[in-house]
Parts: sequence; structure tokens; C-alpha cells
Amino acid sequence: MTEPVIELVNVEKAYRYFRLFGVHLRLEAGQIMGLVGPNGAGKSTTIRILMGMISQDSGEVRVLGRSMPREQAAAKRDIGFVSEDMRLYGAATLAWHMRFVASIYPDWDAKYADLLVRRFNLHPDQTIKALSHGERVKATLLLALAHRPRLLLLDEPTTGLDPVARHEVLAELMDALRDEHRAILFSSHNTHDVEQISDVITFLDRGRVIDSSDKETFLDRWRRVHLDVPPTISTPVLPGTVATTVSGRVAVITTRAYSPDFHAACDGAGLTIRDVQRMTLEEIFVANVMSNRRETLS
Amino acid sequence: MNGSIVRHLILKDLYLLRWMMAGSIAAGLAALAMMPQGKVSGYVGGVSLICILIVLNIFLVMGDVVQEKKDKVLLFVLSLPVSTTQYTVAKVLANAVAFTVPWLILTAANIVTVVVSQIPDGILPFWVAVLAYLLFYYCALLAVSLVTDSTGWHTTTIIIGNVSVNFLIPFLLSRPSVSANGEGPTAVWTGDIVAIIAIEILAGVTALGLAVYFNSRRPDFI
Repeated sequence: MTEPVIELVNVEKAYRYFRLFGVHLRLEAGQIMGLVGPNGAGKSTTIRILMGMISQDSGEVRVLGRSMPREQAAAKRDIGFVSEDMRLYGAATLAWHMRFVASIYPDWDAKYADLLVRRFNLHPDQTIKALSHGERVKATLLLALAHRPRLLLLDEPTTGLDPVARHEVLAELMDALRDEHRAILFSSHNTHDVEQISDVITFLDRGRVIDSSDKETFLDRWRRVHLDVPPTISTPVLPGTVATTVSGRVAVITTRAYSPDFHAACDGAGLTIRDVQRMTLEEIFVANVMSNRRETLS
Repeated sequence: MNGSIVRHLILKDLYLLRWMMAGSIAAGLAALAMMPQGKVSGYVGGVSLICILIVLNIFLVMGDVVQEKKDKVLLFVLSLPVSTTQYTVAKVLANAVAFTVPWLILTAANIVTVVVSQIPDGILPFWVAVLAYLLFYYCALLAVSLVTDSTGWHTTTIIIGNVSVNFLIPFLLSRPSVSANGEGPTAVWTGDIVAIIAIEILAGVTALGLAVYFNSRRPDFI
């Protein structure tokens, strides 16, 4: 079994008003993981721990086989990092930034950098302060991609981008993953973006990993089921139920464990299935978060 | 690559600070040129030189350290293959060069100005002690800015640094060696003045050393 690109084992980090609770994460080479969570879920803290910018209080963090934060300098040779709030030197040009980054990474691919300049319609002689938000994000992505890193850590890179810029950024990320040895960890609260490019999805809420699986499993397991409930049955209890709303004789069940067994359980309980609806990743995310919060409170 | 990454970061900072360094040298030389012109212009030139070095100090630290953190450019720098200790060492060395080069040029020019002009050479120890204090002030502000993210601490250090110059000058002028020899034709380097200069330089180096030490032990850099 090959070593994972990212491995977090029981990672804890406490601040005054926020805490990461025993986070476990594992990302293999060639995978794109979408780290999805609402604001304040701990996505940026997790990614900054992976970059060695923040030290975990306890637990083990290994990135590309290196222990973090101790071996961060060595690990970061093969990491490309982009964050929504990352800024470049405003008074310097993009060309200067490209020369600066190229002087640091021996694997800097000048041809690929030039290709990205054209694809993103950037102007290397323009100063960074003259760039729009979208152009700035594309510039930081260019700098992160052109040294051909084995791992891309992207902290909400598409936040604030217009639809066209977002499409360009996501398309480039997909293109970057043609190399099967590369991995991407992509955080966002925009489930649409995550659904487009991720093959593994991890939901994070209030400092806890509440669910993690491959995208297809999420989409296959979660359903919203409309049932006819006979008057003799009060509240149906079915496998994987995370939410139930009852209106008269109609119940709507949100389940995280949809399978042929679910149908058998309905038949066994005397319930008639009227409709089964697939759920979008956003609906799954919201239902998952709300269910987890209810469980935590109770 | 580990050794060279520090060099790359230093060169990057010096490139970004080059106009500030050049501007302060030009302005400082202009201030020095005023000093031999008479008593009033000499006073204006001397005060201008002190002000230029204080402004350079504040601009360098606020522009290269505080603003880098505030604008989140630090995220970009720390995304490079650099440890937090290497970042701090590079920042200290780059800033030391960015301030020390103009400081050395202006200090040397000051000495030359005093020696070749009609200004009494006896004032030289006073000037060197004042300029050494400005070097210490710079080191202290840089150290505080590296160790803390608090704007309050930066502002407090700047206020203390600026105000203390007003106390330092009368203190130095009241030293018996300066008051006795300040108007004399030769510079007299008495023990107390040499000790003051040595303490100023040592305190500056210590402040920077402590900044590197504390930063290397910081668990969170962002």
C-alpha cells in the first residue's frame, strides 16, 4: 500500500472560541478531495496545519511523507498553495512574481507558465494592484501550478469569482490532475464547485469531520423519500433517517442509507413509497450538517 | 535549496525596498549638505537627518513586515518552501541590510561632513551616539513587529522611540565629555560615550536575536 499524500490522525487545535476535534483525513495520490463546510467550520485551519503555518496541539500530520510542521520546508517543495485571501506584492508585476518563484523551484515549467498566462488572459507586465480579484486568483493559481507540485492545497480559491473565471479555474484544476500522481485538496462552501471536480468529499462542521466518502457514494446513498403513512403508524423509523417531516398522512424522510433494504424496511413497516428523489450535494451537505448539529446538541 | 531560499527572500525584500533605501540616502545626503552652511541650517540639517532615518525605520518595518502580514502577502511567502525560522532569519537580514546600508552611508557622510567642514570635530561622538541610537530604535521596532501582530504594540514602540530621541539628545549633550569637548577641534572618545554607543548596538543586536528566538518557537505563524 502506497503512502498517502495527506494523512491527519486525531489532529486537535484549540483557540479561544474555536476548536478542531480529533480530525482524521487521508488523501491518496491522484485524488481530488473537496473539503466542504460552512464558514467557521475549520477548513482554513486544517489547510494551514497541512502547510505548517499553524502547529497542531496534538495528533500527527504527514504531508507527502513529511511530518508537519517540522519538515514543512521540504514538504512545501512539492506543494502548490492558493488561498482566497492570499495576496501578492501589489507594487510588483506578475512577471516579477513569476521570475521570483521560478528562481526558487528547480521544476518551474516556463512553457506551462506561459500557457497559463494565455489561458487566463493575464498580462505579465501588469502590476498586481492593477489586477481584478479574478485575475489575482488566477495569478496565484498560475504561480502554484507552474512549478508542477505533487499536491495542490486550495483554500476557497473560487470564492468571489464570476462564473466564467470560476469555470476557467476549475477547468485548469481538472487539467492539472491529468497527472495521476498529483492530488488536490480543495476547500469550499460552494458545493457546486466541489461536485464538479472532486472525487472524494469530506464535510466539516464546527471543527469536526462529520462525514467523508467518495462523491458517488454520497449521491447514491442520500435520498429524499415521500411516503404514505397509514393512520395506525405514528412516526416511521427507517434506516439512516436524518430528518423527517410529517404532514397529515404524508411523510418526507431524508435518508443517508438508501438501498434495496430501505424499500424492504418500508414494506415491512406498512409504508407506501410515493416518490424517491435524488439529492444534490448541497442538499446532502445541509441535511448532514443539520443532523450532526441536532445529534451534538442532544 | 534551504540555504538559498533565505538568500532568495533577502534579495526579494531588497528589490522591493530599493527605492525607499535610495530615497532615504538621497534625502539624508541633502540634509547633511545643509549642516556646514551656518548655525540655523546646521540645526535644520541635523534634525532632518534624524527625521529621515526615523521615517526610513518606520516605512521599512511597516511596509515590509507589518503590511506583509496585514495584507496576507505572508501567506504567499509561507507557501514557498521555507520554514518559519528561515522566514524570520531572512526578514531580519534583509531589513538589517535595508536600514544599515543607508545608515552606514549617512553615518560615514556625517563624519566626513564634520571632519572636512568648519563644524567642530568635537561634536562627532555626540552624532555617532545619536545615530547608533537610531540603529537600536530600528532593531527594536523590527523585533516587535516580527514577534507581535498587534498594531497597538507597533504604535507604542514608534511613539516611545520617537519621544525618547527628545530625551536622548539633552542627555548626551549633558555628558561631561560632550559638553567639555563638543566645541573642540578634535573628537574625544571618552569611556562613557563609547559605552553608550556599545550598549546601543548590543541592545539592537539582542532585540533581533530575541525576535528570531521567539519567532522560531511560535506555534502559529498566521
